[in-house]
Amino acid sequence: MSGFKSRSLFSKGIRFWTSLVLSSAVTFASSLLADETCMSPYMAKIVGQEDFVYVWTLGAEGVGDEQDKLVTVDVNPASSSYGKVVNTLSVGGRNEAHHSGFTDDRHYLWAGGLDTSKIFIFDVHTDPAKPTLHKTIDNFVKTSGGVVGPHTTYALPGRMMVTGLSNDKDHGGRTALVEYSNAGDYVSTHWMPTDEDLGGATKSGNFADGYGYDIRALPRRNVMITSSFTGWNNYMMNLGKLMGDAEAMKRFGNTVVVWDLHSRQPKKVLDVPGAPLEIRCAWGPHNNYCFTTTALTSKVWLIYEDSAGEWQARAVADIGDAAQIPLPVDISISADDSLLWIDTWNDGKARLFDISDPFAPVQVQETKIGAQVNMTSQSWDGKRLYFTSSLLANWDKIEAPEGEDLQYFKAYTWDGKKLNHEFSIDFVAENLGLPHQMRFGAYSLYGLSNPQVAHRELAAGSLTGSN
Amino acid sequence: MVSGWTLHLKQTGIWPVCLVLLLCIQAETVPGQAEKNEPQVLAPGWSELEFNPPEAGSYRLPPMGMAGDGQVLDSNGEPTSLHQLMGDNVIVLSFIYSSCSDANGCPLATHVLERLQNQLLQEPGGAQGIRFISLSFDPVQDTPEVMKRYGRPYIAEGFDWRFLTTSGPQALEPVLESYGQSIVRDPDAGDGAAGNISHVLRVFLIDKNLRIRNIFSASYLHADTMLNDIRTLQMEAAGGTVLQGAGDVKVGYESASYQTRAQSLESRRGTSADLQMYLSMPPLGLPAIPIPVDNPITSAKIQLGKQLFFDRRLSLNNTFSCAMCHVPEQGFSSNELATAVGIEGQTVRRNSPTIYNVAYLERLFLDGRESTLEQQIWGPLLAHNEMGNPSVGYVIDKISAIPGYREQFERVFEGRPNTMETVGMAIASYERMLVSANSPFDRWYYGDEEEALSEEQKNGFKLFNGKANCSACHHVTEEFALFTDNQLHNTGLGYQQSMSKSPAETRIQIAPGEHVVVRGNIVADASEPPPNDLGQYEITQDPDDRWKYRTPSLRNIALTAPYMHNGSLSSLEEVINFYNLGGIRNEQLDPLIRPLSLSDDETRALLAFLIALTGDNVDLLVADAFAVPVGNTGSD
Repeated sequence: MSGFKSRSLFSKGIRFWTSLVLSSAVTFASSLLADETCMSPYMAKIVGQEDFVYVWTLGAEGVGDEQDKLVTVDVNPASSSYGKVVNTLSVGGRNEAHHSGFTDDRHYLWAGGLDTSKIFIFDVHTDPAKPTLHKTIDNFVKTSGGVVGPHTTYALPGRMMVTGLSNDKDHGGRTALVEYSNAGDYVSTHWMPTDEDLGGATKSGNFADGYGYDIRALPRRNVMITSSFTGWNNYMMNLGKLMGDAEAMKRFGNTVVVWDLHSRQPKKVLDVPGAPLEIRCAWGPHNNYCFTTTALTSKVWLIYEDSAGEWQARAVADIGDAAQIPLPVDISISADDSLLWIDTWNDGKARLFDISDPFAPVQVQETKIGAQVNMTSQSWDGKRLYFTSSLLANWDKIEAPEGEDLQYFKAYTWDGKKLNHEFSIDFVAENLGLPHQMRFGAYSLYGLSNPQVAHRELAAGSLTGSN
Repeated sequence: MVSGWTLHLKQTGIWPVCLVLLLCIQAETVPGQAEKNEPQVLAPGWSELEFNPPEAGSYRLPPMGMAGDGQVLDSNGEPTSLHQLMGDNVIVLSFIYSSCSDANGCPLATHVLERLQNQLLQEPGGAQGIRFISLSFDPVQDTPEVMKRYGRPYIAEGFDWRFLTTSGPQALEPVLESYGQSIVRDPDAGDGAAGNISHVLRVFLIDKNLRIRNIFSASYLHADTMLNDIRTLQMEAAGGTVLQGAGDVKVGYESASYQTRAQSLESRRGTSADLQMYLSMPPLGLPAIPIPVDNPITSAKIQLGKQLFFDRRLSLNNTFSCAMCHVPEQGFSSNELATAVGIEGQTVRRNSPTIYNVAYLERLFLDGRESTLEQQIWGPLLAHNEMGNPSVGYVIDKISAIPGYREQFERVFEGRPNTMETVGMAIASYERMLVSANSPFDRWYYGDEEEALSEEQKNGFKLFNGKANCSACHHVTEEFALFTDNQLHNTGLGYQQSMSKSPAETRIQIAPGEHVVVRGNIVADASEPPPNDLGQYEITQDPDDRWKYRTPSLRNIALTAPYMHNGSLSSLEEVINFYNLGGIRNEQLDPLIRPLSLSDDETRALLAFLIALTGDNVDLLVADAFAVPVGNTGSD
């Protein structure tokens, strides 16, 4: 028994050092340029060539089977099916498919539906080319105590933190974080701080609206950061109707909340007006800051820990002309914290900002991707970028100007100066639907090799510890 | 007969004192409880409490039903009603008679209340918001003058303690009945005057929502426990969620100085009320609730309708209940949207109308196309852009598949299961009970409570009937006020929406105090064409009915912003201004609508009057709604 114990301790020690070595390798790689950079630091990473992009796709009336599906695109240039859709998996119904995220072991992909509040859990490790539906959580609203619209599914050790967007009482923006085990069992609901119940947090400015959207963690600072969008009424309604409804336009989030990661308690509510959406935290070991962008006021905000150890929010750059409602949506940070890609949905542009001085980002490049552009994902080395078009079913553009693509998946390479188009898939022409969130898959993550690659070029996958 | 408190008395050694006191008492309590002329054991209320009462605010007092109403006379002989003396204060109500001599009866009640009064006055919390009412059992002997004389020595300065009586046994009986106070008169006492009246002593604690929260009897009545109960109710009211208005408060959002006052969803809890009471006792200002002969009201039916009303599973994809558009705290309408959003975010053309007082509407929907609530319910259930159910059978089958419902239907409808008919009947029964009045206006106009309205509000009512002529459509009668003529009218708003060109510029708010002005529709390629709306014409096909919409009631109008059939006016000021300018000119403009030339002062008076139309039971109805669990998919 004692022999077993000491062996166990020994093997733990080995794992610890391996993880450190791998972390250093990651740091080294990231100094070249960077990636998959939006994932949880707790998660296994693909630091080499990804084999697949899983596209969580909205069903649309009149398109194919009209239901939400997980579409698998082969993106390995060495593969015989490169640039092709290699699998689709329909889940039934239109759920307002939106974001997705892997569990920390990267074995399962959790994909949420903002309308029906279902969470689909896909097995992506058994056969990375052909994900299967492992489990559907269909009692999210009931179990969580009335949270509607599971948005970000974010990996924490052994568990998933799911951000809500709305609630079943008024379909407004007040909501909560909902915690699950990796097995899909409900753990807890953490309500976003409101004036009436700040949950121990400090309201540092004018707002404590209780809204939610994205979540990221900085484990070494024991910090969790959440942002705030809008409730079901707004994200589900037609965008033109919304812009014309003065009452509805008052219902957007104006807050970022700093949480104690360990205790899950909100610590500080920061004013970040105009719907702060995606949060991307820096990777550098001394970079105690995260970025977010505001959809309506069109600004880059820095959420940072000051020299006194206090978390602050500051608007650090404009994104285009706010009066033209460019609508910044997804953002992606490079692994060396030097560059930030920002998609502006309304003008269909990918904008690159130099963020080497996080307090003074400067736009250095922009590329028109399509009539509209929403999500972007880059490889860990920053050399490959992928874009999709769909924002929300009833916000998406109905028509595209001549020559501009409307609903697509696009692959680009980045040569340090410009984006080079590699291939596109028209998701409507292919009868798939409206493409949204992208997540990368690789055989290497599971010790497998890619059967489609004739001369095996081993994708360098690694399981890293937390950074 | 040895009760718990008699043991206490014996153990504490005050027994001899009691005996001395008892020598003076010639009385009886309920027959069988104590024999006449035998020494009585005094109730604990006469002495110190034998235990530490639970700390105020550390416990809950669940509501125990509604406090009854009845016509009473104050000590000046002025007629009033019990409900008029309730609602604004926490009430302690006792039933007494001035000649009562039972130490454990009326004198006990009065003694304990006097002691409670003194404690309240001495405490830091004070006696603000608390009223005692002592009502006589004996209208024959206890004239208002007698009650005044009886009460005078007890009432401390600055304390609100009313000693009331009734005009006679006829007025008294229904009151006693509603509080379960059966009395037995001493047969020797002749025709009810004088003599002893046997009764079970009861003192009632009543909250501001007219709900009974505790009942004290002789063995339970004590100033210390009552004090903590009162404080508990006050703490509950102070700490509880504000029940009216969107919990996500956006008042002042236009300004850069806006601050959130967001309420916690977790505190959005309530307590059930017995809505059936409104059947026999509609709130002041409303007539009896019209009930179809084939759909009589029962408590169980209201309860079933309530559950269905809040059940999101009654839609195609389990996301929509009736309450998602008729949100209780938002005036049973939606304050957060100009026009509704239905299943899968689909566009609905019109503003969600309130359910308050829907029982009195002769035509339903804003275009008046439906005639009964039972039928109307199926409109939203089957509309492709509201709850999206594909067929009647689909809804019925779905309800059958939800554990418990089928059996509940069979219990409520005497063996009949859930059918197209019974589903409509259940939901209609709940909606019908959402009656709301006894507003400051009603208390002034129908209750002769002179001070219920301010001078400005009274002036507003004059304008309402006179210069502004609002009452031409928003009817007020001598007996009751529905504030609607149940007719449809063209105000020009619908015409404007259909016939005007889109504006060249749009002002869009992007954050508190921040707006952008954009040319045309900046998101034109993401916008569906706005749906047209021709009002009653769509039903009658008569060109004269173009852009006519149902006159809404003005009751609770302060709670149901934004206004008009399309929610295009966000405040009551804007609505008054719209009518002051004579609506929007068009061929079918209702001749009653013309420029009013109201001054600013007159506009303000009218507004002040409209605000006085909020019923006093809206918190009760909302709290009742909050108590209903939202129906969602998934097992318990």
